[in-house]
This record gives sequence, structure tokens and C-alpha cells, in this order.
Amino acid sequence: MKKFACIGLALALLGPEARTAEAPFVQTAKTWWAFQPLKCPPAPGLSAGVPIDVLLDEKIAAAGLKKAPPADRTTLLRRATFDLTGLPPTPDEVRSFLGDVAPDAFARVVDRLLASPSYGQRWARHWLDVVRYADYHDADPKARAASCEPLEAWRYRDWVVDSLNRDLPFDQFLAHQIAGDLLTNYTNETSDPTGLIATGFLLNGTWDRGDADKEKLVSDMVDDQIETVGKTFLGLTLGCARCHDHKFDPISNHDYYALAGIFYSSHFMENLGTKGGEITLKRVPLVSRSVAALRDGLVLQLESIKTKLAALDKQSPRVAADHPERRMLERDRDALQADLPPPYPAVLTVQEGGMPGGLFPNFQDVPVHIRGSYTRLGPVIPRRMPAFFAGNSQPPITQGSGRRELAAWIASKTNPLTARVIVNRVWQWHFGEGLVRTPSNFGLTSTPPSHPALLDGLAAHLIEQGWSLKELHRRIMLSAAYQRSSAVPRDQTAQDPENRWLARFSARRLEAEAFRDAMLFVGGRLDVALGGPAGADVGTNRRSLYVQTARWDRSNFATLFDAANPDASVEKRTISIVAPQALFMINHDFMQTQASHFAQRLLRNTSGDAAARIEWAYRWLFGRPAQPEEIQIAQHLLAQSGGSEIESAWRDFAHVLLCSNEFIYVD
Amino acid sequence: MSDSHWIPHRCSRREWLARAGGGFGLLALTDLLAGASPDPVSGVTAQPTRPIVGSLPHYVARAKRVIFLYMPGGPSHVDLFDPKPRLLQDNGKPFPLEKPKLERTRTGNLLASPWKFSQHGQSGTAVSELLPCTAACIDDICVIRSMVADNINHSGAALQMCTGEQAFSRPSMGSWLTYGLGTENQDLPGFVVVSPAAVFQGAQLWASSFLPSSYQGTLIRDLSHPIANLHDPSGNLARQRTKLDTLRQLNDLHKRSRVIDSELEARISSFELAFRMQQEAPEAFDLSRETKATHRLYGTDHPTTELFGRQCLLARRLAERGVRFIQLFDAPKNNVWDQHSGLREELPKRCAAVDQPIAALLVDLKARGLLEDTLVLWGGEFGRTPTAEGTNGREHHPFGFTMWMAGGGIRGGHVHGATDEFGWYASQDIVHVHDLHATILHLMGLDHTRLTYHFAGRDYRLTDVYGNVVHGLLA
Repeated sequence: MKKFACIGLALALLGPEARTAEAPFVQTAKTWWAFQPLKCPPAPGLSAGVPIDVLLDEKIAAAGLKKAPPADRTTLLRRATFDLTGLPPTPDEVRSFLGDVAPDAFARVVDRLLASPSYGQRWARHWLDVVRYADYHDADPKARAASCEPLEAWRYRDWVVDSLNRDLPFDQFLAHQIAGDLLTNYTNETSDPTGLIATGFLLNGTWDRGDADKEKLVSDMVDDQIETVGKTFLGLTLGCARCHDHKFDPISNHDYYALAGIFYSSHFMENLGTKGGEITLKRVPLVSRSVAALRDGLVLQLESIKTKLAALDKQSPRVAADHPERRMLERDRDALQADLPPPYPAVLTVQEGGMPGGLFPNFQDVPVHIRGSYTRLGPVIPRRMPAFFAGNSQPPITQGSGRRELAAWIASKTNPLTARVIVNRVWQWHFGEGLVRTPSNFGLTSTPPSHPALLDGLAAHLIEQGWSLKELHRRIMLSAAYQRSSAVPRDQTAQDPENRWLARFSARRLEAEAFRDAMLFVGGRLDVALGGPAGADVGTNRRSLYVQTARWDRSNFATLFDAANPDASVEKRTISIVAPQALFMINHDFMQTQASHFAQRLLRNTSGDAAARIEWAYRWLFGRPAQPEEIQIAQHLLAQSGGSEIESAWRDFAHVLLCSNEFIYVD
Repeated sequence: MSDSHWIPHRCSRREWLARAGGGFGLLALTDLLAGASPDPVSGVTAQPTRPIVGSLPHYVARAKRVIFLYMPGGPSHVDLFDPKPRLLQDNGKPFPLEKPKLERTRTGNLLASPWKFSQHGQSGTAVSELLPCTAACIDDICVIRSMVADNINHSGAALQMCTGEQAFSRPSMGSWLTYGLGTENQDLPGFVVVSPAAVFQGAQLWASSFLPSSYQGTLIRDLSHPIANLHDPSGNLARQRTKLDTLRQLNDLHKRSRVIDSELEARISSFELAFRMQQEAPEAFDLSRETKATHRLYGTDHPTTELFGRQCLLARRLAERGVRFIQLFDAPKNNVWDQHSGLREELPKRCAAVDQPIAALLVDLKARGLLEDTLVLWGGEFGRTPTAEGTNGREHHPFGFTMWMAGGGIRGGHVHGATDEFGWYASQDIVHVHDLHATILHLMGLDHTRLTYHFAGRDYRLTDVYGNVVHGLLA
């Protein structure tokens, strides 16, 4: 019953009186910061210069904090490279940056990194956390049923990567995910399917696949769509209004069903089928109709033969193996199987027009479901946007589902939430914490921003710059705040332990994906190719983005290192440090293999001098030269492991460095 | 909380505890490093093998460890431990008192329990027919019928039950206890969580939050492979030790100039814990070492009771080995005790799955002399409404519900507190979650007002600013 999670939190904050008849928060909501138009211009000169630091410095001074000095250039390059690409810098890149004394040296580094295809791979992962992306429900390909599995979900993931790399303006990026099928015209296999693909966003949620009650399943899917759209783009917990008016935000139960009508008027399952039977998510073939129909026909024939064979097996007495009927069926089956063309590509997508075979099979407004249940229906609510935000005199939705209108309303420059929410997320992904620390909830129970003017300024800037995320990255990364050292005297951290005022940078552990990719990268094995289906094996050389995320598998590498749980939208990852991670580090075959690869590469690329080899390792792994004390420690290990002439000694050395805190932490 | 005299003087108690990751002693840890060499950070040579147990207790502990049998979703008190004749009498009639403002959804009329209660043991405590085995142990159990909590939703209520706080990230009970007391076993995690499936709020329920991260619970999902990667493929532990010593040296150099040293240190000690787990854990987790009779006792030989039976049996093995806090979630999937509907069918299934294993655990602990210093706690985040949700369900109910305790320092065969005649409000000797926490710490020898951690300018406690020890529960 997680739908109600938000209520408990709010009750805790506001106390029981919050439940009384006329919600007192409606008044509060009218002046709530997040619901106000952007203060534009929020600070003089915002669009002209870089006022990020001006706005931060005010608060740092007010808190009586001393700013940390700029990070040294090696640290800065390692920070920026991991931040934008999820990979470490090469020693050559370090050398070239250290030698570049031009004032715009770092700006050019940022441009170079933003232009790398690895940027899209890295930042897509952030986005996938928020949109509860999974490649599959079931980790086991053999056990994977077609019903409700988000088959070929990777097309959506690849679209996200590509959109980020192309710097698709964020307003279009979001509009496509809600209504891409309506924004691009897909007619046949020669036209552009990206609009269809983008709507995969709406179909990659969690619900019971075997729910015998199809109507309930549909209502749960609609709920997932409303909830995910609300959290992801608006920072609103819209799902809270499923059974009753939202307890703390100005979203009524009627608002919810006004939105629900939009999704009920969309078509996202093939059809409801029979009670208890399997259902299939809506997919559109990316081949011509005739090609698809041919194969579909063959598959049907094959299934019918298999059914007949199964029936024979069940007969008693058993039908003999050489019985003519059985022989004929088997012959047909084998022939069909041999002729069957490979599965054609198809895209998981939402279409228009309601769910055939269900309660709401057309474009239509839907009634309130009393307490969330389709079995008790209340008044029909015309489709529209939430009244508090979009007003009481909205034009009626007369054509299509209304997804186009929904997308336009969210992507509008005047929507007070959209730009603020994405700017805050991007800030969080750069600094570790957002200016608002509840990035998917900007409602009345959230904590207001630490720097309201900065948040508004950046949001206005984003819109001004045509919703360009790459421009936003540049703006943030060129601030002095981003470039500060994370090392400050201890008494200063005590003054601001959570680093709310950003007088220093926060050092961070690498995420599971970046950590794994970095190990493959320094071993010279990382395959940075873009796109395609995910593999199941952590041992592949592909980037971690392409190692499958399966909802029912929580015992994999990524989960062990705190990757997002795809059961629900994840606004921020937690960090755990536990012995099972260390056991993986010291004993798992993957680690031994990476250590081996690195050692081999080291021996290939360096001369016989042990100190030079140690130096080479330090430059690849940490971007810096080794200190004399470290060389000594390393040589001691090499001696104990059989001497620096032996490859396995270098493997031990590499293994230790890969396990080290310096490798997994970014200052 | 003054520093004990033998703690190296250059290392504050807090730092020292931070280093004692997962209840791991610094002393034993440096001892393992070649020849008890000077600690590279403090420069002090540690004395060998001083026990860290007993370093803190404020007074004599009645219990040394806790086993928390957690039933996610909220088990129905009026169907299990809190019989209400008035519900039978008024079945189907409206609830005559004013319902709380906090109610989550509007429930219907009163719903009598479909199950019979009868009195058990010398104490004559009434228990539902759904829990015959637990009923047989009732003289060891103190039933608290007057629990109250503050949150009507799973997430918030489960957080409160496990951490004392409903909304924000705070250290869990197990983290506080391992922080305060360390562990009796240097080679296993001090705080083990067994949850076959994910539960609401997940890792937040066993998080260390702002306590050093090494105090968070070690989660075990799959009982047949409780701990992955437990074996060095080379089989050469001496070589691994050499590598880990080198790692430690390099990590110490790295840590010197960094401010997040508690996180870095936690990672350092996680490697030491991992090293020892390789030697100790396989034996500790190996249920096949138990006799057939023991397996039968716990019901691991029957599909209904197999999963929770294995969890309980593992809990006993870990308790024997000195693990401080063991938290079992009855979670073949999420939220199985959440009977909004299907009460008549689902509740008996849940009870059948846990009843025999729980009784087996109590009996087995007792037979081994462990029950007297092991505190066993049973319950969920709240109870369920005495009124019906739909025709065959009950809503969330934090206003009066049941939990029970047994073992170390607990007054067995006692019923503490009561709800009103409908089972709605706790009405007598009310025990708030904070009181429960205070009492658990008390039994473990800790004063809940003095077990504190300074963070962000404030001393935090498990019980925040609340909580009273409930002496009526104590033997």
C-alpha cells in the first residue's frame, strides 16, 4: 500500500489536525514557493554572468564558513571526467590538462567531455533511476514470459542515451516520453520510430503480472503512470490522490481522475483478454505489416501444433511415439520451426484510444474510482490538468487521449515546477545533494531549497537557453563551487557536516556502474559501444549500462553496490558499506580478472624498472604520480608476492589498488 | 560515556567506535595485523585481545542479544493475541466510539474474529487457535496488548518500529545496540538481517544512518547462499592477508588528508570483517550441521514452515555465536501480514508459516540455556482495525495493538496492558514504541537517555526525547 506512504510522512510533520475537513494547506499552497512562477530575473545579471557563486557565497558568509581552496587540477579533472562520462581520465588527458595554462582550459575539458558519447551513457543512468527503468522483470531469459515483460525496453534506454548526447531540449525530451507517438509521425518501417520508443517510459513499471483481475491491473498501471509522471517531471506525489484528495498538496481526487482519463484513453496493452489469461504490453512492429503478419501467423500455427502434441501426451493410454498422427504433427512442427523467421523488432509503446476489451475501450472521461477501486464508480470527471495548477477554465480535451495536452502543459515555460525540478536533479547529480533535498517531492511536505534564488535563476537560465542540459552542465561546472577542494580542516566540516552551504566539495564513492566501468577501462578492456539489448553477465566487457537490470533479481553486482531499485522511481541512491562488498572485491572472479588484465597491460607497457611500473599504475588508476612511501609499500608487497619479475606479483599489486579507497572515491 | 582507561588515548571513544566497524574491535583487528604493530593512525600499539564486550553497559545487562521476529504488514492483534468478546457480540454493528482523526481509510462495521481463543499454560493467557505452538510457550512470553505507534502507513510505521523515527533517516535499533555494545564474536557481523524478499523502506530499516556505516545490518536474502564470495579462489589465505595488510597501509595514507574518514574507515574495516567471515561464516551459516530432529522441530522439512523455519534456526546459530542483533523478516514477499482483504484465507497461512518455527526457536533457546540472556521480540509495525475493511479485511491500526517479548529479563506468562473492549484504543498501561525501545536498551544494560551520538550539533538517541522503561514487562 505504498500509495499512501506520503500521507504518513505528512501526518508526522503536520499532526493529526491536518485531517480535518477544510484542508488548511490550500491557503499555504497559494504561497508555497514551488508553486509560484519563477522569479525572473531572480537576481540581477543572472542571464549575463555566472551568479552561481555570488548566490552561494552570500550564504557561506552568513554561515560563517570559510571556502575551501580550488581543487588541484588532477583532482578536478578526475572529478569532472567521472562526473560527465562515468570513466576516469587517461594519463594523457591529465598531462595535457596540467600543461594547458590557458584560462579556458577547464571549459574546453567540459566541452570535450560533453561531446563524448560516454556522456549520454553516464547521464542516461541517472535518468533511468528516476523513471524506474528495468530491462526485464525476470533475470532468467528462459523463465521470462512475454506477458507484461517490458520486452525490448533497451530501445527506450538507447533513446535516452541518444537524446542526451544530441542535447535534445529537455522540454521535448519530456514531451516525447508522455506523447512521443503523437509528436512524430510513424507510419511504416521507413519512418522515424523514436517518438514511439520514448513512450516506453510509461510502460516500464511494476505491477502484478499475474493479476487475474485485469481491470484492477489496468487501474494499477494507470496509477503507476500518473505517479511516475508526477514525481519525475513535476516533483508532485500525484498518486496520493488516487483514493481521496491529497492530504497535503492541492491535488484533489477529481484532479487524479481527470488525469487518469488521459491514460485510460490511451492504449498500452494489446487487449485485456480473458480473466486469468496472459496479457501483453502494447508493441508496434518495426517491420512492415505483411512481414509481421507472416511471422505472427506462423507462430500461431506452431502454437496450435504444440497444443495438439501436448494433448496427445496427456492421452491415456499413451499414444505411441510412432503413431502416424504424432509423426505428422512432429514433422509439421519441425518444418515450421526451421522456417520461422527470427523475431521481428518491435517497440514497446503507448498508442491512442483506450484498452480494447476493458471498461474504458475508447477516448473517454472516466469516473472517480471510490477508494481507488473500479468496482465502485463515482461521478465522471472530464479530462483536464490539475485545477490548482492549471486553473478552472481549461479548454476541454476533445481530440485524442489528452496526452498531447498533458505533455504541453508540463513542458510549458510557465509551469512553475518542471524547470525547477530538472535543474535540481542535475545539481544533485553534480554535487551529491540537490538544492532541494527531496528531488521528487516539491510539495508542501518537502523542505524548501537551501538557495531559492539560485534554483530559480538556473531554472530561468535553462529555459532561456532553449532547455539545453549541456548548457546547464557548463554553467554549473564552471562555477567556483564545483571546482572547490573537498579537503578542509576538520573543525570546518563540523560547522556544516551535511555541506549544505557548499563551502567545500563533497567527496563521493563511485556508483556501481562507474566503479565497474572504471576497472574495465584501466584494464584496457572496456567496450564503450553504444546501444543494444542488455547482457546478463557481469563479466562482459560492455559498459555497466548494458548489463541487465531485472526487477526480481536483487543479488547482482549493481545491487550489492547500491544501484537503484527499479521497483519505483529512485530520486537518490543510498550508500552502504558492508562486508559482502569487500568479499566481492577480494574473492569474486570478476575482480581477479580485472586485476589480471591490468597487470598484463602494465607489463606490456612499461620497462623492467619496478618503480616506473608502480608509477604507471598510479597514473592510470589515480591520475597522479606515486609518493615515495607508496612505492616502498608496493615494493614490499611485490617482494612478498614472489618478486617484481613475476606477473602474479603484479596481479596482487593491481588487485590491492583496485580495492583501495582512492580508486572508488572521487574527491 | 567517559573513555575506558585502556582505549588508546589519542583516539576518542567515538573514533574508536567508528573504527570498531560492525561491532569489530580495533584491538582484535590490529592484533590480527602482523605482530600487533603500532596502529598506523594513532601510533599506539594496541594490547592484544581485550574483549570489547562490557565496555559500555551502564548497568548489569539482563540480555546479551536480541532476536527480533518482524512480521511486515501488521499482524492483527484482535485475531491473534487480544480476544474481544464484545466484537462477537456486536459483529456487524457500527463502532460506537469516535474513530481517530488519523484513520487511513474509512472502515466499516465491527468484525468479530473468525477464530477461537483459548487459555494456555499456567498463566492462562488467551491465544488464538491460529497459533497453537506459540500458545504452548505462553508461560515464557510477556504479551503486550497496549502497544501504540504514531503512523498509519507501512513505511512510516516500520521506520518508527525499527529506528524510532517515522520520516527521516535515523540509526536502527540494531545499529544502536552494536554501536553501544560491540559484538561478542569478532568474526561475524554484529547485526544480521534475514529478509528473503524486499520489504517497505528496505535497507532504511537496518540502516546505520549517521552512525558509522559499519553498524548497519548485514542483509541476507538467500539462505542457501547466505553470503556470496566467501571463498578465495586461490585458497591461499596467507597471501590474501599480505594483500589486505598492504591495502590497509595504502588506505591509511589516503585517509590522512580526507574529511569523510568515518566512511573511509568503515570501508577499511569491511575488508577485515570480510577476511574473518571467510573463516567463520561458512560454519555459522551451515544449517546442515543440525540434526534431523532439530530440523523437524523448526519445520524446515515441511514446505509451509520451511522458509521461516530456516530463518529461525539460523537465528539460533547466530545467537549462539554471539551475534548481537538478529532481525528476521517474515518476507517470502513484501508485506505478507497486510490483510486489507482475504483475512480469512491469508492470516491462517501466515500463522501456519511462522508459528511452529517461532515456538521451536523459543524451546531450542531454552534447552540450550540461551533464552535467559536472549531477548526475543515479536510483532509488526502496527495491528489491524477491529472494524472491517470490505467484508474480509482489516485496515492498519497503530492505536492499540499487540507485540510480545520473551527471554532475557522478561516476565514470562504475563499480559501487560489492555485495549478497550473493542480492541481499538490501547487503554491501560500504554506502551509506546519509544517505551518499547527504552525497555529493550534497558534489558541490554543501556540507559536510553545516555546512549547518544553527537551529530550535526546535537546528541541523538534511539528514543529521541521520549521513552520510559516499562518495568511491568521485567521479571
